[in-house]
Amino acid sequence: MDESENSMDKQIDDNDGTKPEKMFTLKKWNAVAMWSWDVECDICAICRVQVMDACLRCQAENKRDVMGRQDCVVVWGECNHSFHHCCMSLWVKQNNRCPLCQQEWSIQRMGK
Amino acid sequence: MLKGKGQRSFEEVWPDMRIIVLKLLKQETVSQVEWQDLFYGVHLVCLWDEKGAAKIYDCLRNDVVEFIAHAQLKVQSQRGEHALLTTYIIEWRKFFTQSSYLPLPFRQLEHVFQSKTSSSSSGCSASTSASSSSTSAASTSAAAAAAGTSSATASSSSSGSKKNPTEDSIVRKLMLDSWNEHIFKDIKDRLQESAMKIVHAERNGDAYDAQLVIGVRESYVNLCSNPEDKLQIYRENFEAAYLKATTAFYRLKATEQQQANGVLAFMKYADAKLREEEARAKRYLEPSSYAVLAQTCVKVLVGDHMNTIIAECAPLIKEYETDRLNLMFRLLDRVPNGVDPMLRDLENHIVSAGLADMLSASEIITQDSEKYVERLLELFKKFSALVKNAFNDDPRFLTARDKAFKTVVNDTSVFKLELPTGIQNRGVKYTAPESKCPELLANYCDMLLRRTPLSKRLTSEQIDARLRDVLLVLKYVNNKDVFMRYHKVHLTRRLILGTSADSEKEEDIVEWLREVGMPADYVNRLARMFQDIKVSEDLNTQFRNSTGRHDAINIKILNAGAWARCSERVSVSLPLELEDYIPDVEEFYKKKHSGRKLQWYHHMSNGTITFVNNFGRYDLDVTTFQMAVLFAWNQRQHDKISYENLRLATELPDPELRRTLWSLVAFPKLKKQILLMEPNCPSPKDFTENTLFYVNQEFAVVKNGKSQRRGKLNLIGRLQLSTERSIQEDNQSIVQLRILRVQEAIIKIMKMRKRMNNATLQAELIDILKNMFLPSKKMIKEQLEWLIEHKYMRRDDDDINTFIYMA
Ligand SMILES: [Zn+2]
Ligand SMILES: [Zn+2]
Ligand SMILES: [Zn+2]
Repeated sequence: MDESENSMDKQIDDNDGTKPEKMFTLKKWNAVAMWSWDVECDICAICRVQVMDACLRCQAENKRDVMGRQDCVVVWGECNHSFHHCCMSLWVKQNNRCPLCQQEWSIQRMGK
Repeated sequence: MLKGKGQRSFEEVWPDMRIIVLKLLKQETVSQVEWQDLFYGVHLVCLWDEKGAAKIYDCLRNDVVEFIAHAQLKVQSQRGEHALLTTYIIEWRKFFTQSSYLPLPFRQLEHVFQSKTSSSSSGCSASTSASSSSTSAASTSAAAAAAGTSSATASSSSSGSKKNPTEDSIVRKLMLDSWNEHIFKDIKDRLQESAMKIVHAERNGDAYDAQLVIGVRESYVNLCSNPEDKLQIYRENFEAAYLKATTAFYRLKATEQQQANGVLAFMKYADAKLREEEARAKRYLEPSSYAVLAQTCVKVLVGDHMNTIIAECAPLIKEYETDRLNLMFRLLDRVPNGVDPMLRDLENHIVSAGLADMLSASEIITQDSEKYVERLLELFKKFSALVKNAFNDDPRFLTARDKAFKTVVNDTSVFKLELPTGIQNRGVKYTAPESKCPELLANYCDMLLRRTPLSKRLTSEQIDARLRDVLLVLKYVNNKDVFMRYHKVHLTRRLILGTSADSEKEEDIVEWLREVGMPADYVNRLARMFQDIKVSEDLNTQFRNSTGRHDAINIKILNAGAWARCSERVSVSLPLELEDYIPDVEEFYKKKHSGRKLQWYHHMSNGTITFVNNFGRYDLDVTTFQMAVLFAWNQRQHDKISYENLRLATELPDPELRRTLWSLVAFPKLKKQILLMEPNCPSPKDFTENTLFYVNQEFAVVKNGKSQRRGKLNLIGRLQLSTERSIQEDNQSIVQLRILRVQEAIIKIMKMRKRMNNATLQAELIDILKNMFLPSKKMIKEQLEWLIEHKYMRRDDDDINTFIYMA
């Protein structure tokens, strides 16, 4: 028992010369962040589902697998209102105006 | 001989015929010529003498009756059962045998009588031709019989698929009816009595002659000439006597047995006797009597003693006397609804024994989910074994077990999970305490799925088996939504810390949960997390490849919709070492995606740091908050820093800072702590602004009571996924969610039914929601009121218990 402790002492003595200045040094950091669409309103006004979830249509079509899919993206109009891209593409076929502000719809940017 | 003399009239022919008839009755030898003469004689008389048939019949009857009178004298003169029965059976058998032969020569009488009685029938010629052909058939068979072949074979071969030709013959009927009239009626009581005495002797184990009883029974069966109901005489006399004797015998014996040996021994007796009587019935009774005999026996041996027997049930269950219970089950199951009281006893036992067992160990099991689940499973297995061994897994007993076990699992007396009161926006007060079972089940699942001493000890198959056990108990849990919530929290921790023992098993269990009927949206949410974590792993690989200088950092950038629906973030001032990485990550992410915003969840992030002090060098797994606190000493290694100054340095909110510091000065089961405090505080809420903290320069990892100079230590403990406030909100959100689900379900039902009464609505509602939770009557009522108030539906004007859907 004593022997093992002695060998430990030797090891630490070996290290004494290279002892770092700081008491605490970073070895590994697992940083966690959450992303969400940069929108003013969480809910798509067309299908009433949160924009972070797939739109109703996508949910119904792929019941189980769609949940993790990234391709039901969000689209922003010039008016800065945002919807599911799927929902909006159907909407504009009927009426080329933003459902929220009635301005003529033109895409400002698409989520990716 | 007859032919040659050309005699034709009855008076001329009969004396010779009669000699042959008497010979036949007495079973004396009749030559083939005599036998044929008899046929011919009957033929002649019927042909030439208009009233010949009637005359033959009358004379024949006189002879038969006379013969029977003689036989009766013989039988009646017998003393004693044995002699009486023996003689009767001998005489009867003789007579019965002849009742098959004697009618044959007289077949023609029937045609004569028949054509007389049914003169309205079709044509005379047709019946004549038919009769002549059947006469010839009869004569051949008669010849065969006379030649010494047994009558049974002869008659059956000649009858072919049709009836035995003698069976409905009038001569045979005459013979049997005469026997019935002149001998049987007088002595049948004596016969039955004697036969039952023999059965009685047999039951008592005395010497007996079964053949006599069987002979008597056969005589009863064969004696009957009623073609509609051939067993009439047998049933009304023999069977009735047999049943009566059986009841009388066992009524006496049952009482005797119970008084002498007690109820338990009596059950064995009853069981044995039921079987014995079943076998005896096969000897002595016709098959048609088996059921009624069994009923009679069951009544006198079981039905009449129900109360006494059932009184023993509860004590036997308590002692797990499976053999005796099995016997009782078999006995009582023969009585209609007989097992119902046993079901009640079983249910009561499981509930009271189960609860008592849980309560007796409540100290341990409310703290230790493994012990809790093991205890529950042990109970379940014990009860199941009881049902299997005592009640052969009978479905009625399985149902009783399930019902009672459900009560045990959902009982709230061992522990209570208080759901918050006063949900503001919908004006609901909900205070019902809930069983902590779903939470403990989820904790246990976590222990099996995470890298823990428990999961390391077990093989993959053993873990699977235990997970299956969890699902088994989960089946009985009312509030499955609570389980799913805790399961999700644990899964989040395992995925973020990468502490899953087996990632394949993680995904398996998601499918298992789906299989056991967990609501799809709960299960989908879990599946979504697995997919998202894979997306995030790819992203991390890309990030690390893109720079090459970030060896110390791993990133997890997750879909907020899948992971963090209602958890709030906590701000912290990161140590510079960490802060440096942030812009690089954000830059990288912006290049990959657009339209997205990133939020750092530092309360979830974590890492490994190296800690060097006077004693040794250690790798510590820590949370980012712990890192933020510890790095404050890098500039002033030997200082004592006040709580207030640590707050300024880390910018952590008060509750988070207290909790983080507490994990560093008082980490559970740690012999030597990283930080020391001054003065010593018994709990985190006792920290003041001026409480001082400093690094323990004598810190060491202690193994087997010895301080080590090198070592690893995990200080993360249970990674905080949410702040204290959001834990409160979590509990509220579950109530909110339930309210929403109740409303949705009511509307769904009403939309379909349009109009519905309260009771049916509640039943359907509970059916829809049962896989998530059991809505309380109160909650349902409140939500109905709310929906009425908001004009989703209304009450019927004529019946306030009927609701009408409003579009
Ligand atoms: Zn949409
Ligand atoms: Zn879509
Ligand atoms: Zn707009």
